[in-house]
Parts: sequence; C-alpha cells; structure tokens
Amino acid sequence: MTALVVAGLSAREVTRRRTAMLLVISLPLWFYLVRRDLTGQSMRMLTLGIAWAVSTLTLFVVNASRGVDPRLRVSGASVAGIIGGRLIAMSGFGVLLATAYLILVAIDQDIQRFWAIAVTMLITALIAAPFGSLVGALLPRELEGALALLSVCAVQMLADPAGLTAKFMPFWSGREIGTYAVDGTGIEFLWRGLAHGALVWALCTGLTLAVFARRLRLARYPEPVPDSR
Amino acid sequence: MNWPQRFEAELVRLGVQPVVARRLTADTAAQAGEHDADPDGFFGPAHLYARHLVAELQTPAAGTAPERCVPGQVMLQLSGVGKRYRRRAVFSGVDLTVRGGEVAAIVGANGCGKSTLLRICAGLTPPSCGTVHRTRRVGFVPQDGGTAGWLTAEEHFTLFGAAAGMVPRKAISTGTHLASLLAWRPSRVQPVQELSGGTRQKLNLVLGELHGPDLLLLDEPYQGFDQGSYLDFWRQVRSWRDAGRAVVVVTHLLHELQNVDHVLDLGAVAGRVA
Amino acid sequence: MTPRPWLHGFLDLCLLAMLRERPDYGYGLAQRLAAAGVADIPGGTLYPALLRLEQQGLASPSWAPSESGPRRKYYEITPAGLAALQAQAAEWRAFRDGVDLLIGAPVR
Repeated sequence: MTALVVAGLSAREVTRRRTAMLLVISLPLWFYLVRRDLTGQSMRMLTLGIAWAVSTLTLFVVNASRGVDPRLRVSGASVAGIIGGRLIAMSGFGVLLATAYLILVAIDQDIQRFWAIAVTMLITALIAAPFGSLVGALLPRELEGALALLSVCAVQMLADPAGLTAKFMPFWSGREIGTYAVDGTGIEFLWRGLAHGALVWALCTGLTLAVFARRLRLARYPEPVPDSR
Repeated sequence: MNWPQRFEAELVRLGVQPVVARRLTADTAAQAGEHDADPDGFFGPAHLYARHLVAELQTPAAGTAPERCVPGQVMLQLSGVGKRYRRRAVFSGVDLTVRGGEVAAIVGANGCGKSTLLRICAGLTPPSCGTVHRTRRVGFVPQDGGTAGWLTAEEHFTLFGAAAGMVPRKAISTGTHLASLLAWRPSRVQPVQELSGGTRQKLNLVLGELHGPDLLLLDEPYQGFDQGSYLDFWRQVRSWRDAGRAVVVVTHLLHELQNVDHVLDLGAVAGRVA
Repeated sequence: MTPRPWLHGFLDLCLLAMLRERPDYGYGLAQRLAAAGVADIPGGTLYPALLRLEQQGLASPSWAPSESGPRRKYYEITPAGLAALQAQAAEWRAFRDGVDLLIGAPVR
C-alpha cells in the first residue's frame, strides 16, 4: 500500500522535472546516433546510455527525498515501503525508456536476435534503478553521485569486456547479452549475462535496502508506564 | 455558490455540525438584513467570516478561568538523556516529563542542541546515554525541509497519510481541514517549492499532525508566519493541549513561555555540564 | 470613538450592560454603542460576540417580527449573564481606576 503510493507519487514527481526529464530521455539517443552505422557499437552505446540515464534520474529522486523519508518513517511507513516504492517507480520508468528505444531500434536496425536486444535493454534498465539508488544512498550530494555514475559508465565503456575489470562493472550483463544478440555468439554469453545481471540486481537492491534501513532506523522507545492518576 | 452557501459550506468544513451551520447561516443572513446590507460587503469574504465566527465561538467567556483539562498519562519521559558527538558533549542529564494535555517548551541559545534533543524524542537520533519512554504515535515537524518540492500539498497529504495507513481520500480531507485551521487553502496544482516560506511551514505542521498523533514534536514551526498565522498557530497548540495531546515545542520566543506548562532551558543544562 | 483593540476586551461587558437595561437586537445594540460614543462597531465583530454570549448561556435569544422588513433576533440577559456582567464590571472598574491613577497626576 505505502509502496504503491510512494511509487505513484515518485513517478509524478519525476515527470514534473521537465528539463531534467527531457535531457535524460534524449541522452541515450545521442549515444545511439554517434555510431548508428555500426549495429554492434550503437547497441552497446545505447544500452550504456539507458543505464546512465536511469541511474542518474534515480540518484536525483533518492537525493530529493532525503528530507521527507525520516518524517515518513516517524509517521509509520516501513523502510521497504518507502525505498521499495521508489525503486518500483524508477524501474517502471526504466522499462518505459527501454521499450521506447527498442521500438526505435526495431525500425532503424537489422538485428538477428532482436528479442535478445530487448532482454539486454530491459535488464540494464532494471539494474540501473537500484544501482542509482545505491550510489545515491552512499554519496549524499547530487554532484558527487553523478560524477561516480559517470566514472562507472566510462570504465564500463572502455574496459575490455573479456578482462576482469569489466566483469566487476554493474552493466557487464548488458554487454554480454548484447554480443549474443548482435554478433551471433554462443548461448553461454546469454546465460553468463543473465546470471551476472541477476546477481548485480540482487546486490544493489539488497545493499540499498540495507543502507536505508540503517540510515532510517528509528530508536524503539518503551511506552511510558501508565500511572494511576 | 452564493455567499450564504459558501459560508455554510465553510462552517461545515471547519467542523461545525450541519444543523448548527444552517442555523448560523440563517442568523447571519438576518443580521445583514437588519442593516439592509449585502453580506459580502458587511461581513467580508464568506470563508474568512466563517473562520472568524468559529474562532470567536471557541473563545472562553471573559472573566471566567479558561477550562484546562487535568494532565493525563505520561506521553514522553526523558531521564538523564545526553548526546555527545565523538568527544564533544552537546548536552547531558536532561530530564523532562510531558503528559497529555501539557505543552513543554525547549529553549536555549543557538547550537545548544535543541533540534538534536527533538530528534532524539522523535527516535531519529539515538541518545548517547539516558533513557527515553515515549508513546508510540508521534508527529514530528522539523525546522525546515521535510517536504518534496515537486509535489503539491494534496499529494503530500496522500503520501504522509499512506505512511500512517490512511486511504488517500481521508488523508486529503483531513489535511485540507487542518490547513483551514491555519487559515490556508492549499492549491490543487501548485508544487510545494513555489509556496512561500510561511505557507510551506503550514504544510509542515499539517503533515506532522495528519495522523492524529498523541505527542507532537515541533521545531520552531512558525518561521515565516505572519502575525495572523502566528496567532492561529498558538491557538492550534492550545487546542491540541485541550484535546489531551502532549506538545513539545522548540522555541526562542520567550514571551510565549507563559502559555506553556514546562520550560526546559537546554542552555542552562549544557552550562551545568561545562 | 474608541480604537478597536481597546474595546475588544470589554465588548462583552458593554453588550451585557445594554441588555440588562432592555432586550435588544443586533442593529439596535450597534446604534446604542455608537450613540454612547463607545464604538462604531462593525457587524463582523458584533454578531460573533452576540452568538458567543448566546452559546455561553449569558443571553437568550427570541425571534420577534418587525414593522418593516424581516423578523429580528432579540437577546435577553440571563441570570448567568447578570453574574458575568457583575464580575466583568468589577474588573473594568479596577482596570479603569488603575489606568486613571497612572495617567491622573501628570495630566492634571
């Protein structure tokens, strides 16, 4: 109940930040257009663009609610309700954004395994929301968080996908499944990607909840002893 | 709607029984008739006059002592509460007991830990030492912030209502009613960040009491209020008290201390420590 | 005419005193207050005060027809009203004497 109300209101809140919304929605497009002539490159860039857009927006939403959350707790909301609701909203936004770009890709590109591209983008969008909220939970200021996200995305983009570094990056799953979709590699790429994605998602969601459970914990005071007055 | 209809609707919204509201509306029409005047010119805007009338009818008779209910059960009890950040003691040895139907004021110089103490009472900051006993249902109004800039007032009512398990419709009607007691009509479309500082504080206050808590913790909640809102605020504090709730208010306005039951001078406590 | 803040605390007293003399309705009371030179009181102040007196049981209302226009609500002072009037009158005298004492000597 609380989670759904929080989700609905977070979604409304986000849509009202028109300029930020516009920039975030169009960001993956620029990534995509740069190497539109090369299917594989453009898919990788587009996926990364979606990852960056969704995680940055989630970061902003998480930071914007810093003042409200403790009060909601005092009023009786649970940490899972507050944070879960916000994650539902941002995951929903991510899925919408990914779907919109999938339609663009379907029209604009010729891909063997289109369904796998769909999996790539959706899994990336779904990871980006808890990842953005985790960064927001750890780095309290928007600028710091945005810079951290930028670093992660840059390393992800530049690291050799076969190397160890890339595997420790949150969006490696999208890269693996993307390779499977575009370059027609073996099925093991898909499974590896899915497993990595599930692990990263569970880790980011769990850590986000853990950090907020600690930050938003309420001291439990015993009730005063009733007296006989 | 014409003037009498607006007047009657506002009375009902302010909690007047519908039958009584109808009678007051008839009376008011007759009074304007006596003077051969149009009610709008004679009494002013319908909703303002309704509010004024309700406030007047709640004022106790002159020459009689205002009715005070007997203090009820203990709602908050601090004993030996202290807070230190690393090696710096902010305060220590704070004792305070507040019962239902009582108002306690926390005063003291800037930086003596008034807000910290209030956060300890809310449970948001753990005390370093001492014990706290507190009733479960509590409303907390921080000094600033505590609202989401892009949401409207009604959406805040929904959000905070949901936190306390209220359905949206009830949360909105309750919030609107509580706002009217502070002479504020929330706009349906204006995001909170466009409100003036004083109006945002009113929202803050309404959000703190939306779920009908037994204990209200207020951190200088009247900043940015104009004179009228300020009086409305203290009238609200009195009505909470008379309804048997406990109120703890951080304040620096010493002339209000005659209206409170307990004064905790945190500066003096801290001074004793140092 | 008295500035309104002064009247505020003693409006009930003035109304009760006038009602002790004879029952009256709102417009009549406003006229009498003005004629006595106490205040030209706006309706938005007078009528809530009358309603409050009614609610507190200090004055009881009754409706009476008028020769011209709609019927009128007449107020009559009750025993409780008389008691309140006495208490408030004593309070007023003490207050007035106190103020007189303070301003008396230097002015004369």
